[in-house]
Amino acid sequence: MEQLYGYVLYGVTLASMGGIYALLALGLNIQWGFTGLFNTGIAGFLAVGAYTQALLTTPLSSRHIGGIELPIPLAMLCAMVLSAIVAYGVARACIRLRSDYLAIATLGIAEILRLIFKNELWATNGPRGVSQIPRAFEDLPPPWNAIAFMAMVLLIVLVVYLLMERARVSPWGRMMAAIRENEEAAAAIGKHVAHYRTESFVIGAAMMGLAGALLAQYLKQIDPQVSEPVTATFLVWVMLIAGGSANNRGAILGAFLIWTIWSATQILTGFLPNEFVAFGYTVGNLQVRSAYVRVFLIGLILQFILQRRPQGLLPEKRPAASRPSSAHTDRDSS
Amino acid sequence: MKKLLSVVALGALMSSPALSADVKVGSVAGVTGPIAELVAPILAGRNLAADHVNAAGGLLDGNRLVMIQADSQCDAKAAVDAASKVVNVDRVVAIVGASCSGATSGMAQAVTIPAGIASVSDTSTAPSITDLDDNGRVFRTVPSDAYQGATLAQYAYDLGFRRLAVTYANDDYNAGFAAVFAATFPELGGTITASQAHEPAKPSYRAEVATLASAGDAEALALFAYYGGSGITIIRNSLEAGLFSRFLGGDAMVDQSVIDRIGADTLRGNIWLTQPISEEDSVSHMAFADAFAARGNDPQAPFAAHGYDATFVVALAIEKAGSTDSAAIAKALTQINDPDGEIINAGEWAKAKAAIAAGKAINYEGATGSVDFDANGDVPGSYGISTVGGKGTWQVAPIH
Repeated sequence: MEQLYGYVLYGVTLASMGGIYALLALGLNIQWGFTGLFNTGIAGFLAVGAYTQALLTTPLSSRHIGGIELPIPLAMLCAMVLSAIVAYGVARACIRLRSDYLAIATLGIAEILRLIFKNELWATNGPRGVSQIPRAFEDLPPPWNAIAFMAMVLLIVLVVYLLMERARVSPWGRMMAAIRENEEAAAAIGKHVAHYRTESFVIGAAMMGLAGALLAQYLKQIDPQVSEPVTATFLVWVMLIAGGSANNRGAILGAFLIWTIWSATQILTGFLPNEFVAFGYTVGNLQVRSAYVRVFLIGLILQFILQRRPQGLLPEKRPAASRPSSAHTDRDSS
Repeated sequence: MKKLLSVVALGALMSSPALSADVKVGSVAGVTGPIAELVAPILAGRNLAADHVNAAGGLLDGNRLVMIQADSQCDAKAAVDAASKVVNVDRVVAIVGASCSGATSGMAQAVTIPAGIASVSDTSTAPSITDLDDNGRVFRTVPSDAYQGATLAQYAYDLGFRRLAVTYANDDYNAGFAAVFAATFPELGGTITASQAHEPAKPSYRAEVATLASAGDAEALALFAYYGGSGITIIRNSLEAGLFSRFLGGDAMVDQSVIDRIGADTLRGNIWLTQPISEEDSVSHMAFADAFAARGNDPQAPFAAHGYDATFVVALAIEKAGSTDSAAIAKALTQINDPDGEIINAGEWAKAKAAIAAGKAINYEGATGSVDFDANGDVPGSYGISTVGGKGTWQVAPIH
C-alpha cells in the first residue's frame, strides 16, 4: 500500500512538471504551429518568467535584489507581462527575419538572457541562483500541498488550452495559418503580416513566461542552469513535433508523453546491473552510461517521428478547410 | 480499472519480502551535464563505501545497503525529478547527493525536506545551502565557501590586524569569499576601511589601489583574486606606490609565480593566505586511498573522498538509528561524531557496528578529516596558512 502511495506521489510530480512543459509547448504552438515562427529561444522567455517570479516573491536576502514579497498570483501576472515585453522588444528587432534566420537570432537572444542572469550578481546572485521561492499551497499538509499545486498547474493548462482552441477556430487563427502557409498571399489580401507575427510571438512568449513562473515555484530554486537549452528549448520542440504541431491537444499530449519518457526511463535504467559480460568483454560502469541512453532515446524518438510521422501523433485539424461550404453558408445565413 | 490493478500488482511485486531485506539509499549525482567527468569518481567513492558496509556485516540485521542511482544533471529541474523518483518510487531512507549547489538546493527544498528525508551532499559548497529552512535534514561533507572567509577573518584578527582594506575580483568565487570576510571581520572587532570590487585581467590597478589607500589608514590589504587574473598586478602596484606592504588572501593566490615575480624577500613575513587542506597522512585517508586505488581509481580525484564519507556517514546513521525511519536517521546523523566516542576510521565498518551494538558513542574520522556536522549540517573543513618560507617557496601550516 505504501508502495502504491509512492507511485501516486511520483505521478503527482510527473503531472506537475508535465503540465509546466505543456504550457511551454502550447506557447511554442502559437508561435510555430499557428504562425510558423521558428523560435529557438524558449529558454530565454522561461528564464525571464522564472526570475521575475523568484525575485518578486522571495523574502529579503543579501544575495539578490527583491524582498518585495508580492502575492504569488500577482507575481505570475508580472512574469507573463515581463516576458511579453521582452518578446516585444525581440520581435521589433527580428520578427521580419525568415524562419531559419529567426531561429539563429532567438537562439542568440536566449543565450544573452542566460548570460545576463548569470553575470549580474547584484541582482540575481549569479550562478548560485535564487532559492527559497514560495510555492502556491505549500502550507497545506502533505500530500495535499503537492496535489493542490498540480491541480493549479493542470487548471492553468486547461484554461490556456480552451483559450487557444477558441483562437484557433476564430478568424484570427485562420489568418495566422494563412500567414504561415503563404506570407505573400496573406499580405496581398491586406493583412499586416509583421504586426500579426509580432502578436503571435508575444502571446506565445507570455505563456512561456507563465511556465517559468510555475517552474520557479515548483523547484523553489532557480539558477541560470534551468534555462540550459537542451531541457528548456529543444525538449519542448521534441514535445511539440511528437505531439503534432498546430494541434493544441497534440502539444499537450506530446509534453506529457515525452516528459514521462524522459523521467520514467530512469526507473528502467535503475534496474540495470553495474557491470555485465557479453562475448567475453566486460562492459563496466553501466549505471553511469545508462544516464546517457536517456538523452540518446529522446533523439531517437525525434528521428523516428520525423521520419515516420512528420505530422505528429495528433495531426493538425484545419477548421476552415474541413467545414463543408454549404454548412458555412447555412451558418452565415442563420 | 485494469490499469489500477496492474499498478497494484506492480506495487506488490516491488515490496515483496525478497527485496525488503535491502536498505535503499538514493545516490543522486550529475551523471550527465557540465560536471560529468567529475562525477564518475565520486560515484565510485560512494559505491566503495557501500561495498565496505556490505562486506563487513551490512546494516542492522545483515541487510544489504543498496545505492539507487539517479541523474541530477547539475540542474534543479532534473534533480527534483530524480529525487522524486528515488524518494517516492524506490522509497529510499536517505539520499547521498546531489551534485552542484543549484541542484542540491532545488532537490532539498522541493522534495527531500517536505518528505522529511535526510540528504548528504558531497560536492555542493554554496553558502546559501546553510540558510535553508531544512528542519535538520540537509547535510554536506564539503565545507561551505563561507568558512574560508570566516577563517581568514579570525586569523587576521589573531595576527593583530584591526584596520583592513578589501578588494576582490568580481567573480562567483572571490566575491562570495570576500563578502563573508567583510561581514566577519567587523564582528570580531576589526574595521574594514574600504571595500572595492575590481574587474580581473586589467594591465594596471594603480587607480584602484590609490582609492583603497586614501579611504583610511589600513594596516594591510585583504586581496581576493586569482593570482594570474589580477592578484600579482595588485600586489606589484601596491608596493610600487608604497601604499600597502602587507597582504591577506585565499587559496586562489597560492602559486609559485607570485613569489617569483614579486620577490621572496619582499613577501616574507608580509603575506598570509588561507588554503583548504585535507589530512592526507591520516590513517583514515590512507585506508580510503589504498582501497580506492586498488580498484583502479585515482584517490586524488576531486570530491571522491567526500563521496565516500557522505555514504559512510549515512550508513553509520542508519545503524545508529537502529531503524530505517527517515526522521531517526536524520537525527542520528548528528550523533556519530561524539568527541568522547570511539574513533572510527574509513573502512572500519565492523568496528563501528560492534561499538553501536554495545551502545557506545562513536566518532567518525573520515577520509576527508573529521566529519563534524554543526547545527546547520555543515562541516567546518580544515584550513592551513601559506606563508613564504626560507627557501622562497610557499609553506603551509595548519591553523589550530
